[in-house]
Amino acid sequence: MIRHSSRIRSGARRLAIRYFRAALVLGVLLAIGAAWSTHVMAVARLRERLLLTPADTVAQQPQLVRMAAAQARPLFARHCATCHGATMQGNPATGAPNLVDGVWLYGSGSVFDIERTILYGVRAETPKSRNITEMPPFGLTGILRPGEISEVVQYLLQLSGRPHDGQAALAGRDLFLGRGNCVDCHGPDGRGNSDYGAPDLTANVWNSGGDAAAIYDSIYSGRHRVMPGWIQQLTLQQIRALAVFIHANSHPADTGAAGAASHAATIANR
Amino acid sequence: MPQQSPTARPNAWWRRLLASASSRAPLLCALGATAGLGLAGATLLRRIPPPVASVPPGYVALVNGKGILMSDYVAQLMEVDGVAFSEATPQQRAAVLHDMINEELLVQRAVVLDLPETTTEVRTVMVAAVNAQVSQPALAMPVTDAQLRQYYDSHRSAFMNGGSMDVTDLVLRVGGYENADQSFAQAETDAAEAAYQLRAGAERAHVIDHFGFVRDDNLPAGEQPDFAVKLHLGERLFAVAATLEDGQVSDPVSLPDGVHVLIMDRRVPEQGADFDAVRSNVYTEYRDELRRRAAEQNTLLLRREARILLAPGQRE
Repeated sequence: MIRHSSRIRSGARRLAIRYFRAALVLGVLLAIGAAWSTHVMAVARLRERLLLTPADTVAQQPQLVRMAAAQARPLFARHCATCHGATMQGNPATGAPNLVDGVWLYGSGSVFDIERTILYGVRAETPKSRNITEMPPFGLTGILRPGEISEVVQYLLQLSGRPHDGQAALAGRDLFLGRGNCVDCHGPDGRGNSDYGAPDLTANVWNSGGDAAAIYDSIYSGRHRVMPGWIQQLTLQQIRALAVFIHANSHPADTGAAGAASHAATIANR
Repeated sequence: MPQQSPTARPNAWWRRLLASASSRAPLLCALGATAGLGLAGATLLRRIPPPVASVPPGYVALVNGKGILMSDYVAQLMEVDGVAFSEATPQQRAAVLHDMINEELLVQRAVVLDLPETTTEVRTVMVAAVNAQVSQPALAMPVTDAQLRQYYDSHRSAFMNGGSMDVTDLVLRVGGYENADQSFAQAETDAAEAAYQLRAGAERAHVIDHFGFVRDDNLPAGEQPDFAVKLHLGERLFAVAATLEDGQVSDPVSLPDGVHVLIMDRRVPEQGADFDAVRSNVYTEYRDELRRRAAEQNTLLLRREARILLAPGQRE
């Protein structure tokens, strides 16, 4: 009888332990589920906040920059790295600009400017794309002769603070300001105009290569670089995240710790 | 006959129905069908969901459900008023947004009116926009001198320097034209004699006076481009003039207004332009050709994917 009741007790205890274990597993699962859903909701809220925040104030919000960078990194690898490179340093062969050198063809490199370029592209032939100008082929069309182009190249080397032939640079300057009509886009001081994508020739940053031969080729053959607009392929939120990510990598100091961390991560991936 | 126990409850009708397999199956089918129809009806008749009540992030307004991008709004503000969004006054912001909403409304109205179907200008703009888009990748490819030369060589006739000429057109009027009373036969004989004398070196003024020639007033004096001469002389006389060299005199040419004799004072024939002289034109034509080809390829692709039916007897 005693043995019988002790067997009952131990059976009940085992059952209780089993219930307890089941409850524990269920509780842990519930906790994980709750944490996950909280995280998902928090990310969704952050993504919404990323879009609701005016483009040019996003950079001052480290939490948003971190979230945007996390979201944009794979997007950049999938959609942008083909041309701009995994490290964002561009490709002179295709003229894809370096995105981390702090020099911008269009606008000042603000999140808003970068976002506009991603939205509508460059020379993508939509009314909102950046397609006011292109570099004309001065040699191909006979506007300048080969010797004259070489002189303009020397002047550009001088403008960008590099060794040059002084005599040729002087003649090149006359062509730059006169018959070549380079001033029309690049300005009399060669500093360009970011309203319509005319590069600053004094910055010594060259999208299509900066040695004398590459500059000669740019002047001789002209450039007609095209970047597609992404408004049909990506969501507005993804485009904003990409713009913030690129901005953070090109302005590590402006975006504080988050930008620096994002920048460091990109650099580390090089 | 078995007696029903007084405590036993009579079988309900549904129990009896379900008890037999032969009546249960159609009953269940009927129930299923009714439920399905009910669901379908409820889905069809349910209230249409209300329109989106709030503007999604990234947009500044919704116009009949179509969003106006915040980015476009900020860009428009900068373009119209030249100020950054943060510096714009509430009035400036409101005015720009007002205009953008109006524009969106009109665009939506245009779609309702099916303007591409009815308005030539809209169709033209749409066609040009599509062609411009598809040609961009081709235009982005670098052009080389070799390509330009090859294009020039295979399209030489497109790069000719137009010729010019300084030609005098002498006419003997006939048959009452400008009160002339001589016959065609007489005029042709006189013109042949005049041409002979001119070729022999007779003084032009003397020949004109002697035979009663008049100068064709339509033709301006001095050297003119070929196209201008052709315009004034007409096809037939120009064809004769184009065969003359400096100092040559033509045979008489009979036209309804009289018999003409042409004297070529100076002829610069049409000739192929030097490549370097027309580089710019070659470049422009070459790029136009790239555009045309891209547009043609795109049209071919569209046609391959389209289902086009022609009415009986029609061909394209």
